[in-house]
Amino acid sequence: MALLTGWASFLVAVATIGCIYGLLTLGLNVHYGYTGLLNFGHVAFFAAGAYASAIVTMPPPSTVTNASYEIWLNLPMPLGFPVSLAAAALVGGVLAFLIGLTSVRLGTHYLAIATFALAGVFSDVLVNEAWLTNGSFGMNSVPKPGRAMLTADEWQLAYLAFAALSLLVTYLVLERLVNAPFGRLLKGVRESEAAAKTLGKDTNAVKLKSFVIGGMIAGFAGGIYAHYLGSVVTAQFVPHVTFTVYAAMLLGGAASNTGAVAGAFLVIAFEESTRFITTAYNWIQSTLPEALSGVLPALFGPLPNNPSFIPSMRFVVIGVLFVLVIRFRPEGLFGDPAEIQALGEEED
Amino acid sequence: MVFDNLLQTVVFGLIEGSVIAVGAVGLTLSYGVTRFINFAYGEFLTYGAYLTVFLAAGVFGMSLPLPVAAVVALVLVGLLGVAVSRVFFEPISDRGALPLLITSIGVSFILRNLLQGWIGVSAKQLPIPLMRRQEYFGVRLTDLELGVVVAGVVTMLLIHLLLQRTMLGKRMRATSGNRSLAEVAGIDTTNVIRQTWFISAAAGALSGVLYAVLFAPFRPGVGFEYLIVIFAATLLGGIGRPYGAMLGAFFIGLAMNFGSTYLSANYTRAYAFIILVGVLLVRPEGIRGGEF
Repeated sequence: MALLTGWASFLVAVATIGCIYGLLTLGLNVHYGYTGLLNFGHVAFFAAGAYASAIVTMPPPSTVTNASYEIWLNLPMPLGFPVSLAAAALVGGVLAFLIGLTSVRLGTHYLAIATFALAGVFSDVLVNEAWLTNGSFGMNSVPKPGRAMLTADEWQLAYLAFAALSLLVTYLVLERLVNAPFGRLLKGVRESEAAAKTLGKDTNAVKLKSFVIGGMIAGFAGGIYAHYLGSVVTAQFVPHVTFTVYAAMLLGGAASNTGAVAGAFLVIAFEESTRFITTAYNWIQSTLPEALSGVLPALFGPLPNNPSFIPSMRFVVIGVLFVLVIRFRPEGLFGDPAEIQALGEEED
Repeated sequence: MVFDNLLQTVVFGLIEGSVIAVGAVGLTLSYGVTRFINFAYGEFLTYGAYLTVFLAAGVFGMSLPLPVAAVVALVLVGLLGVAVSRVFFEPISDRGALPLLITSIGVSFILRNLLQGWIGVSAKQLPIPLMRRQEYFGVRLTDLELGVVVAGVVTMLLIHLLLQRTMLGKRMRATSGNRSLAEVAGIDTTNVIRQTWFISAAAGALSGVLYAVLFAPFRPGVGFEYLIVIFAATLLGGIGRPYGAMLGAFFIGLAMNFGSTYLSANYTRAYAFIILVGVLLVRPEGIRGGEF
């Protein structure tokens, strides 16, 4: 029974990845949008969550080919699933706490670089500590919860529903949080750290809390991601992920949870659809009348014949998106210009 | 034997330190006048190395001798730096550090992926022969490694002379110290900033070429990956402080080589960073306080 064919299957996959990136973007938005913390190491929290989920649910190494990991819990599915996701969020939060402990009190530039580099160090750990992470080979037998009871298509839909529900609940909790006194405190630190201090607030503690909350959300997203793909590989957790999430947040509008979710879906839809560029190009070329067939090659030249061309162009577009949004619409699609203004200012 | 090994590690640390120092000084000079840290800086390293390879291999129609190719590449990357600044950064220069910083990430994505889309991810290397190590004062070095140190030291000296002895250097220091005051004093700060971009980007390109000489082969991601190391040196010295950056670079070079030799070669970048975090915890402004 092929319920989902071609386009439908593609759309379900894009929507699921969109939900996961929506969570990541919501987490980053707590850091950057609401607290003004320039976190350039977001991917580390995502990776920490994904690996935590993999480690608590992987079967014993003796049953897996190329296994060199030495720690596994083999939690049974589906009952172990919530435990696994809780572990993911917890580990993401703990990593954020540790990185935040050294970094949140640093100024803008120092924080950006410290988080960027600590994430780099963390990814070195993931590659090198094979006893924990199975090294660059990755952990490829992460169970898909409920897969045994459903057909492939039903599972895809059910998992999408679960991811969407997780996104919705996180969104609602965050909306509640940022409009509560704690949310105003975060914004207060963003607008003027000096003023918040004058009012007796421990701004470093506030920043650390913000860091941990965002890190937990990213870790949670990592857990959902691990059980969706069924495998966790170091090559998935590169700095590009962090910056893709930034692109989503800036496009949607920093300091707007609605914007974060919308931005994530737009960016993921774009990234996934670029794989059809060559197909579209060839299709247009083949349907054009004979007389016009020279037009496209004359305009664009032959597309470079290397496999990294399309993926590279995708990131060129992401880069252009950064530049244009910052220059012409700093509040993004759904942001509030008044909230963004304070983000550009720096206190010396 | 133990002493020999120690000495050799120190020397390798200093060699890599020279590569880092050239890059870190360039980065910190542009920070001094623009007040934001440029995440696209790694691409200047990458473009420097690739342009040198292309010019030497005759991709643009003629093949130049390697040193000439390197010099031409430095000038081209310098001009690229000025162009990047005019197109992307000048229009938003009055908006504060954060928008500039984020824009620089976009610029780094654009530059790196245009190159990668064009030439693919396969590794390239400079057309230099393999060399045998020779003994200099009890240390075994290739002539190339010696050349890298010389190039690094000469660059440091030139930048020192530029800052202390030339009118441009004085204008740069004035602009860095207080831009509006420099403006009032009749300095064309826009122009000074463009000239600084040229020097900064060319220094980045030189650092990339030296890196390629030491650690061939390389890929389009090379500059972005090495950026962490250059950042570590820059921050260690205190951002915006050229002499601090030089000092920081040699610390980082030594830390990376000692760590790789005596602890584990898997964590080279981590050593650079652990030193940095350690220093920042005690002195958030870096090892070298004070002015430019």
